[in-house]
Amino acid sequence: MKKISFILNGEKRNAYVEPNDLLVDVLREKLGMHSIKYACGRGDCGACTILLNGKGVRSCIILAIEVDGQEILTLEGLSENKLTSLQESFIDHSSFQCGFCAPGMIMSATELLNKNPNPTEEEVKEGLSGNLCRCTGYTPIIEAVLDVEKKDVDKK
Amino acid sequence: MAIVHEFEYFRPEKIEDVIKLLGEYKSKARLLAGGTDLVVRIKDELEFPEAVINIKEVEELRKLEFIEGKLHIGALVTFTDLIDSDIVREQFPFFWESVKTIASVGVRNRATLAGNICSAVPSLDSGPALLTYEADIVVMGKEGERVISALDWFLGPRKNALKESELVCEIIFSLPERKHGGSYVKLGRYKGEDLAQVGLGILALEGNEYRLAFCAVGPIPKRAKKLEALLNGKPLTDSLIEEAKKLIPEEISPITDVRATKEYRLHVAKVMLERGIKAAVERIDGNGPAYGEKLI
Amino acid sequence: MEEFKFIGKSVKRLDEREKVTGAAKYVDDIEFGPNLLYAEIIESPHPHALIKSIDTSEAEKMEGVVKVVTGKDFPYKFGLYMKDRYIFAQDRVRFIGEQVAAVIARDPRTAQKAAKLVKVEYEPLQPVFDPIEALKEDAVVIHPDLKNYPHVPWFFPKGGTNITHRLKLRKGNAEKGFKDADFILEDTYRVPRYAHCCLETHIAVGLLDYSGRLTVWASTQSPYTQRNLFADALAPLGFSHKDIRVIAPFVGGGFGGKAGVTMEIVAAALATTVKGHPVKVMWRRDQEFYNTYMRQQVVTKIKVGVKKDGTITAFEMANYWDAGPYAEYGANVVNASGLSATGPYRIPNVSIDSYCIYTNLPAAGPYRGFGYSEMSFSVESHMTRIANAIGMDQAEFRRKNGIKEGDPVAYGAPMNPNGLLEAIDKVADEIEWGKKEESKDPNKAIGKGLSIFWKAPAMPPNVTTSAFIKFNEDGSLNILVSGMELGQGYLTVMAQVAAEILTVPIEKIRVELPDTDRNPYHWQTVASHVTWASGNAVKRAALEMRDKIFEVIHAAYHYDKDSLYLEDEKVKCKLHPSFELPLKDFVINGIQTEDGTYRGEAIVGSGAFMPEFTSAKQDPETSQGGHPNVHYTVGAGAVKIEVDKQTGKIRILKAVEAVDAGKAINPRNVEHQIIGGLLQGLATVLYEDMRFDENGKILNPNFTDYKIPTFLDIPDEVVPIIVEVPQPDGPFGARGIAEHTMIPAAPIIANAVEDAIGVRVKTMPITAEKIAMAIANNKKEVNDFLMIMKK
Repeated sequence: MKKISFILNGEKRNAYVEPNDLLVDVLREKLGMHSIKYACGRGDCGACTILLNGKGVRSCIILAIEVDGQEILTLEGLSENKLTSLQESFIDHSSFQCGFCAPGMIMSATELLNKNPNPTEEEVKEGLSGNLCRCTGYTPIIEAVLDVEKKDVDKK
Repeated sequence: MAIVHEFEYFRPEKIEDVIKLLGEYKSKARLLAGGTDLVVRIKDELEFPEAVINIKEVEELRKLEFIEGKLHIGALVTFTDLIDSDIVREQFPFFWESVKTIASVGVRNRATLAGNICSAVPSLDSGPALLTYEADIVVMGKEGERVISALDWFLGPRKNALKESELVCEIIFSLPERKHGGSYVKLGRYKGEDLAQVGLGILALEGNEYRLAFCAVGPIPKRAKKLEALLNGKPLTDSLIEEAKKLIPEEISPITDVRATKEYRLHVAKVMLERGIKAAVERIDGNGPAYGEKLI
Repeated sequence: MEEFKFIGKSVKRLDEREKVTGAAKYVDDIEFGPNLLYAEIIESPHPHALIKSIDTSEAEKMEGVVKVVTGKDFPYKFGLYMKDRYIFAQDRVRFIGEQVAAVIARDPRTAQKAAKLVKVEYEPLQPVFDPIEALKEDAVVIHPDLKNYPHVPWFFPKGGTNITHRLKLRKGNAEKGFKDADFILEDTYRVPRYAHCCLETHIAVGLLDYSGRLTVWASTQSPYTQRNLFADALAPLGFSHKDIRVIAPFVGGGFGGKAGVTMEIVAAALATTVKGHPVKVMWRRDQEFYNTYMRQQVVTKIKVGVKKDGTITAFEMANYWDAGPYAEYGANVVNASGLSATGPYRIPNVSIDSYCIYTNLPAAGPYRGFGYSEMSFSVESHMTRIANAIGMDQAEFRRKNGIKEGDPVAYGAPMNPNGLLEAIDKVADEIEWGKKEESKDPNKAIGKGLSIFWKAPAMPPNVTTSAFIKFNEDGSLNILVSGMELGQGYLTVMAQVAAEILTVPIEKIRVELPDTDRNPYHWQTVASHVTWASGNAVKRAALEMRDKIFEVIHAAYHYDKDSLYLEDEKVKCKLHPSFELPLKDFVINGIQTEDGTYRGEAIVGSGAFMPEFTSAKQDPETSQGGHPNVHYTVGAGAVKIEVDKQTGKIRILKAVEAVDAGKAINPRNVEHQIIGGLLQGLATVLYEDMRFDENGKILNPNFTDYKIPTFLDIPDEVVPIIVEVPQPDGPFGARGIAEHTMIPAAPIIANAVEDAIGVRVKTMPITAEKIAMAIANNKKEVNDFLMIMKK
């Protein structure tokens, strides 16, 4: 077991891990970050997406020990206080159905909007295309992401 | 699913320490950069390393620089870094076009070009660009540095020219001196992320020089020497393209698998050649479809 | 027209906030504490073999291993409609990946390591993978004891063969009908297997506590059916229904794959061996492909005769379904889709034979559409070809022959009110049917395709459902039901039904996920019947509460009950306009009268629903005489595509689908079903492509090579259209629409491909490869079927 330290949702956390522990398992089982979902186990589907140093990554194909000294944001961290405009937009659009892809999708969309606050429809599709959803046909998700920008503009 | 196999983990900060560890563990060591290939392979029990050496702390491997007409891509540069780089997009748009077809954001944020070429899979999307730009791969080992041409890099499926105890430090692309255009055409089963069933990269240089390379249609990504011999020195005409298409079956040796049949790969390779070479030539003068636009 | 305040409104989903904050708990998100054990399954490497011996001794010796369980520990069969399945293989394995034994350990790694130490000796038997081959007289018999398996009375298995059920339907005189025809077309179509690909893999956690109660947390569409089958299968261990509790938290996708019982029974059984310890069984993605259900493959032979004017005179069909080695649920897919295989057409003479056949591919069963998608591919491809052959417009052909209210369906019962013609008209208008379009790119061709569809809920005739509703002190509501929120919006729709009756706003309603200890009975969330059936139960429960509310007011104020009504969470009286009393003031603690005493009670309601006109007592030789289906939902779909003639790639320029919801309780949810379901269907016809090797091993059990659509693969435009011809016995006129939305997808693409490039593809999927190679080789028809790859 090795001790690692990292920032999780703004708070310094420690964990004891084996070199072969996967990040998804450590975050879910040892640190209670259950928003992260296991779905394919090989980086194909995006359900386990978290932000590592601000970038969307697949926690099912990262060794936990690699994140020593890094910064992690999960959906729990986004939801602690007031929801983000993106989360509100998903609620307004009733975007998700079964909801299992939602945490990963929201983390990917958060990264997308951080990088590009005014994405085109094509950019939304390209930016989120690594996150699979079997229910929605994607359109309600695209609409919600595009609508965030409009809402934020309205606020200004 | 948990990883069952156990290994030692190291996180050196200097290249010499990496080399030392490689010397110690030899074929039982694996370097970890993005991990998008390695971790899955350990999990699937296809690899059983005794040591996993995380090289992400080796700062000097992180550089992405354009110096004197040469693009230096450090071993830790990710596909996202490449796609987001203005220099890559503006100076090496054909390379940029190929890289954009690889995986999706969540993987590109981790996966590195160096890791990609070390995996040396037959369907390597970055392979054709590397081969046609004739990139150099700088590697370091106990004996010091050596430079391997991309043309000599691929030895077989998942086999590369790296010796035991060597690591890739950087990949260097030289900007061709002449005006040029390029294209990367990829056959996938749909528009979303897929492994190439045929990949064709074409670099067309002013003065009727053509460099072509395929991936996913043979054991390794490979330059299409027969096609180049036919095309070089000749202006691109419809009849020349037709002749070139006829040569395709001699140039590539695709197989049938779950992704596509051999017959379809051969068929589409011809279509890709026609569309790709036209686009590459048009792009020499800034015409033709924009880089990144799908040709098939 | 009745004015509704909550019905017909696109209120926001009730569960969305939980889902977008990560608060929504799925089974694996529940903490089970330090006693949690993990199971790893030992699987058969053979498609068909006898088990000679199992040696568990090495595994048992490993530190951290708590137990190793084999078939000997659980010699019990189970199954929904037929008991032909085992908790663990007994003397024989019947597909690659079948569970033979399980290791239970303190941690997952130990379980995985120990599983490798279990030694199983097999004697391989001849396997059979093709349903037609499996029918041959000399074919290997996969279930030698079939004749002794218990099953529902409407199944007809044939002992000594691989036929687990044969549906036989005869209406009118098909032979005569063909004599009357001016044109007859006969052909064969083939649909391979498909996978549901729920993002959440199957998972179940079982716990037998020290008092002897068995609780199972499962990702399921069917908590009550699971409890029933667990109780039935484990009865020899002394369990009865009251000893078993199934808790179903949120489920990460179902699509039929989590209907009935598959791997969950393993968790239930294992739990009984390690008292006091919860045991988790969670499928990896590859197991999700091969050891739950798949969609069945089918070979369809079809022959249809028409008059010159387009009138259909006769319809003959034989379906050969490959159910895999366990057909306990799959046989009902065969039955239900066989009864309705004509599609929504008025046809006087019909002959249908549907065979459910055992093979040694993995077990197959329910999948969104329940066989109708497969039937629709062949029938709607065929009808288009016939219309074209006799020079009749396809839309007109369908208007002419489309079934109308009161027309007898193939098994004789009358068709329910429906908006089929309206759906055809609206879809045809939207896609500009009849207008030829040409691509600007000479390498590409544009084509349009049209199809109609129907589907009835496939259920036993006496399926029932129930609901409890209770008021809270502030006038808010908890609704307890056991239908499952699969993502379709069930919770929201149940809230809307209760809100409409009780005038309580949606924000003040919670609808609780199933727990068989707390929530009342519901059969399963399948068959797209919950809006209709559970909606009726919730409506009845709400009406009962309203009645109790009026009783209380009557008792306290002596107002005539008939003069009372609810509005904006208040009771009002037509005769006393100044009277109004907020519900929150009395629904728990009653109303104080002048003498200081109280009138009232905590207001709760219960409601239940069962159709009382259905019957499965049809003649086995003709399928006439019963009333197996409650009603049909109909619709139409159309598509405009652009085909690249060189690569074969299809771009969907526009897709349109109209479905008759009876009454769309939440129109946006209906539209979302259309958008999502249609894409799922389009994927099955365009690129989802399951492959097996010659030994029956699946070659692509992952998303790397089983391609489900991404954001980049959606049509350029999707137009969902809602038609509303009320269902007389539906809540506010509603009927189900969810499965239906994927049914037209395959034939609209097949028909559009032919329209664009003149190639008829008769096997699914219609990949770019098939199209390009047909054009390159100048073929007008494609029969290539690639599911089992030859070396």
